[in-house]
Amino acid sequence: MPLWSVRGLRRGVVTTRYPAKPDQSAAALPTPPAFRPRELTRQDADRMIAVCPRAALRRREDVLIFDVGACAACGRCAGVAPHAVTASGEFELATTTRSALIKEIPILGDQR
Amino acid sequence: MNPASEPDQPGQAVGPASQDAAEAARKLRDMIAKQFGRSLHIRTLDTGSCAVCEQEIRLLSAPHYDLQRLGFFFTPAPRHADLLLVTGPMVRAFDVAARKTYEAMPGPKVVVATGACALGGVYPKDAFVHGDVGEVLPVDVWIPGCPPSPLALLYGLSVAVGRLAEKAPGLTFLAEDDPEGGEQ
Amino acid sequence: MTAVQPYAAATSEQLVRQLADLGSLEVGDGAATRGAVTVRMPPETLEAATHVIAGTPGVRLADMFAANDGDAATLRLVWALDSGYLLTEAEIEGDQYPPLSDITPAAFVEECEIYEQFGIRPETGKPLNRLMLPPHAGPDFPRLGHRPAQPPEEVHAPHTVGGQAFEFPFGPVRQVGVESLYYGLVTSGEEIVDVYLFTWHKHRGMEWRLRGQTLPEAMFLAERVEGLSAVAVGWAFAAAAEAALGIAPPPAAARTRAVALELERLYNHAAAMAALCQATGLTVGQSAAEIALERLLRVNATAFGHRYLFGVVEPGGATRAPDAAVLQRDLPAAYGELRRAADALLNTNSFMDRLEACGILTAEQARRLGLVGPVARATGLAADTRLNGSHPRSGPAGGGPYAEHPVTVITAADGDVLARFQVMLGEAAESVRLIGTFLDAGAAAERTPLPVKGDGEAGGGHGLGWAESSRGEVLAWVALDEDGRIARARLRPGSVRNWRGFDDACRSQNVFTDIPIIEASFWLTAAGMAR
Repeated sequence: MPLWSVRGLRRGVVTTRYPAKPDQSAAALPTPPAFRPRELTRQDADRMIAVCPRAALRRREDVLIFDVGACAACGRCAGVAPHAVTASGEFELATTTRSALIKEIPILGDQR
Repeated sequence: MNPASEPDQPGQAVGPASQDAAEAARKLRDMIAKQFGRSLHIRTLDTGSCAVCEQEIRLLSAPHYDLQRLGFFFTPAPRHADLLLVTGPMVRAFDVAARKTYEAMPGPKVVVATGACALGGVYPKDAFVHGDVGEVLPVDVWIPGCPPSPLALLYGLSVAVGRLAEKAPGLTFLAEDDPEGGEQ
Repeated sequence: MTAVQPYAAATSEQLVRQLADLGSLEVGDGAATRGAVTVRMPPETLEAATHVIAGTPGVRLADMFAANDGDAATLRLVWALDSGYLLTEAEIEGDQYPPLSDITPAAFVEECEIYEQFGIRPETGKPLNRLMLPPHAGPDFPRLGHRPAQPPEEVHAPHTVGGQAFEFPFGPVRQVGVESLYYGLVTSGEEIVDVYLFTWHKHRGMEWRLRGQTLPEAMFLAERVEGLSAVAVGWAFAAAAEAALGIAPPPAAARTRAVALELERLYNHAAAMAALCQATGLTVGQSAAEIALERLLRVNATAFGHRYLFGVVEPGGATRAPDAAVLQRDLPAAYGELRRAADALLNTNSFMDRLEACGILTAEQARRLGLVGPVARATGLAADTRLNGSHPRSGPAGGGPYAEHPVTVITAADGDVLARFQVMLGEAAESVRLIGTFLDAGAAAERTPLPVKGDGEAGGGHGLGWAESSRGEVLAWVALDEDGRIARARLRPGSVRNWRGFDDACRSQNVFTDIPIIEASFWLTAAGMAR
């Protein structure tokens, strides 16, 4: 066992201080999309809805309804509408209310 | 978090007598949350996942994350557990095992559904799966992700015990360079 | 470490000639499965043909499945030769076919699955177990074909040891942080007499759900059949679809897939090492392995944008290129962490004592059951799909990344937990070397466009794809309809092949506390078996 104790002491502490302090490794994680309403047209929205593998996106008139809970952060929506979509960088998404994960994104791109 | 293990009924009118009851319930919830915030025992439940969520959950006790430093512990016995961490789309063939595990946990208890599968995001409701853990168990906390990383899980557990305020209601998912009046 | 020479390519031609002597065969190329030599025969010839093939040395049954062609089911057997795959198929008109598992025991589990899903069974009337579908699956429960006339039995051979044995159910809710899995342990006290596994409580009906989907939709689900082998299953599926469409990914994209596949192998072997330490109660070793595992997952995230490499493979190519500079900087340090932990473990006698002579499988058992991956290689069988070339015959580039940069196949002789652990360590070193080689040759995010309708090549067609996951060979067979949507997808992760060897490994003079150790050394998933 001295072998392991020496290894451990030499290795040092790798434990994160999260959530007390931010953790750098979070920057590399895939996150749900954030949208640019002024760049988003109805056509963009419909194309994104068609490629989303699991119904995280729906459209009602000029509102894109985005279910963050259903989102797998796969990036396909960003792939078909790169001008209108970017990574949100948000991974602290847990909630006690399911409806807090349903977001409404205004579609304003057609008005330009 | 439901001391009575029943989901809250939305839209109930609150009169004077039920205001006292609501106040008492709030005090009880706060007291319980405080206890859970110091020492919480977690039982995991796989209702049909692809095995990746389980790997992220296992890493919670690994040196990089060490959930024990936050007062969270894993326990194999539902009888000793305070929180049920559920993955997977609730395969129908698993319903009985899921209910038995939930019912074996004494109240007060918290149910946390974690991962896109458990939140209704990967499988639609069909003959094989419910598609959403909430169809069979009363869920208190939802943690999105595919898979949710150990950091997201630590955040979710902290929210579940009331140690951290949740951000989700305030997030708009509008890009910073085009917020259209909303704030990120 | 053993370097393996592939058998001469003449093997499949020799076999086909021998089969032709049995008469009335069609050797396909047109409507056949691209990616394999296809031999279609009438059901009467199937038994004799199976005798011939199963009796040829160096041939292994890789899979057996059925698909509906109109009203009748077509039975397909996929045989692995060193030079590639041979597919024998026969249309079964009634509800019976020859007793194939009597000729090749590696087919028994598949016969059970086919009976549940298509209602056809071997002529001998031998009892078939319920396998994939839950006990309450009534006549209307969705199936891929016709429901069986009679429900399958729950048959277990009677067990007695000194006149006494009892069955002890365990699961499906097991230890914390592991998948749901039901074991029936048959024991006389401490010694394991037998182990039954049931995975029907995790059966999500993936093959059923894939029907009618477009390839991009299906790709998302294919990766999640067994998430810990997302790249391998995704690659096998994409390759099957590409073969069906008659296209091939660009070489740089194929190398990207190979980099991701080797990274997947690395983190899985690190996770298996952590599980071995946990099973033997060596917490310090477990922590050291978990540090290495976490570092490898972070390398995956910075190189490919996802800790578990989801979303890298797509039909036609690869969506994301690895950040080569980051990978070449970070991977050696992460691998070094793994190597140092492994070296310390190999010098810890209390750990090594638990692994030696535990969970022994012989080469004969591995061959008879058609096992794959490190489990098979640790018994001395040098089978590794990466030697078949990772590319269907129809592709212009020929061999694919593993043909250009050959793999050294790692084998061991004893077939115990220690041998499997050593094979995994050897493979991890080899994976790091391969990643460096692929990055030097250039790995990009490119794709060959899928043919659009009206091209003449679009739609219709069958294809076979494969990849070597950390658990062993993954096979996929895809039939596309005229619109390019999936008519039938068969996904066979390595776990499906290897769980059937688990009870033989547990039975070889082991006790209860050895079961988690043996399970860690197999490092399979319930999700991959249950689908």
